[in-house]
Amino acid sequence: MSNRRSRQSSSASRISDDQMIDLVGKLRQFLPEIRERRRPEKVSASKVLQETCNYIRKLHREVDNLSDRLSQLLDSVDEDSPEAAVISSLLM
Amino acid sequence: MMSTYNMVKQEFIKKWITTLHMLDCSVEHPLNVTERKNAIKLSSDIAMAAARSGSTVWSRALISRSGNKTANKPVARRILKKARNRLKNRCLTLRRNGNFTAKSGVRKRTELLKSLVPGGELIKNKDYLIRETLDYIVYLRAQVDVMRTVAAVDSVTGNLTNDNK
Repeated sequence: MSNRRSRQSSSASRISDDQMIDLVGKLRQFLPEIRERRRPEKVSASKVLQETCNYIRKLHREVDNLSDRLSQLLDSVDEDSPEAAVISSLLM
Repeated sequence: MMSTYNMVKQEFIKKWITTLHMLDCSVEHPLNVTERKNAIKLSSDIAMAAARSGSTVWSRALISRSGNKTANKPVARRILKKARNRLKNRCLTLRRNGNFTAKSGVRKRTELLKSLVPGGELIKNKDYLIRETLDYIVYLRAQVDVMRTVAAVDSVTGNLTNDNK
């Protein structure tokens, strides 16, 4: 699974799963029930929000790029080829 | 946690197949590359929102927003009209007063986040916004993962075709 991801990943600043878990953890710290417990490490709200925004924007871009790719894939396949059969059974 | 994520992806796949057929029936064929891209993206977004069978603001806002893009497709319009009405009613319950410190960095970035999460601009309460964001991110990731997998079909079947030539 990770092989496919690294093959397909183009940007160097890809957020890894570990970073994601960390980010989610920090976001959760803003929820009231967790805020009650004093966390030893200081969380910069501004930074976490910025990272979150960057991450969402990155995911939006990926969806856009993937939509492009899928559209081109369908354009370039020969109507009678096996790809067409597989892809059109999944899409259109 | 992982099995829940797989369930999200499975739900997305199911809904995406449905929305693709739904849009396919309502568009004029043949499509050019750009029209096809827009249809794929639109169906994917609607599927992501539909996979979230719950009362999140982001999923309803996304469906509502997608409704504008399918204005000329009667089938889609009917399906999305219901969701849009539900969203209108929900807005009224969301205007709770949230108290968060108006430090310029946090304030500015919170506004940015609101613009990125569908329906975020409707959420006044900061904690609510964070919850919606976390939920939205999970589904967004699932959407990306599934689309990436489908796009990778090309590299798998491409090898098959080359062998046959």
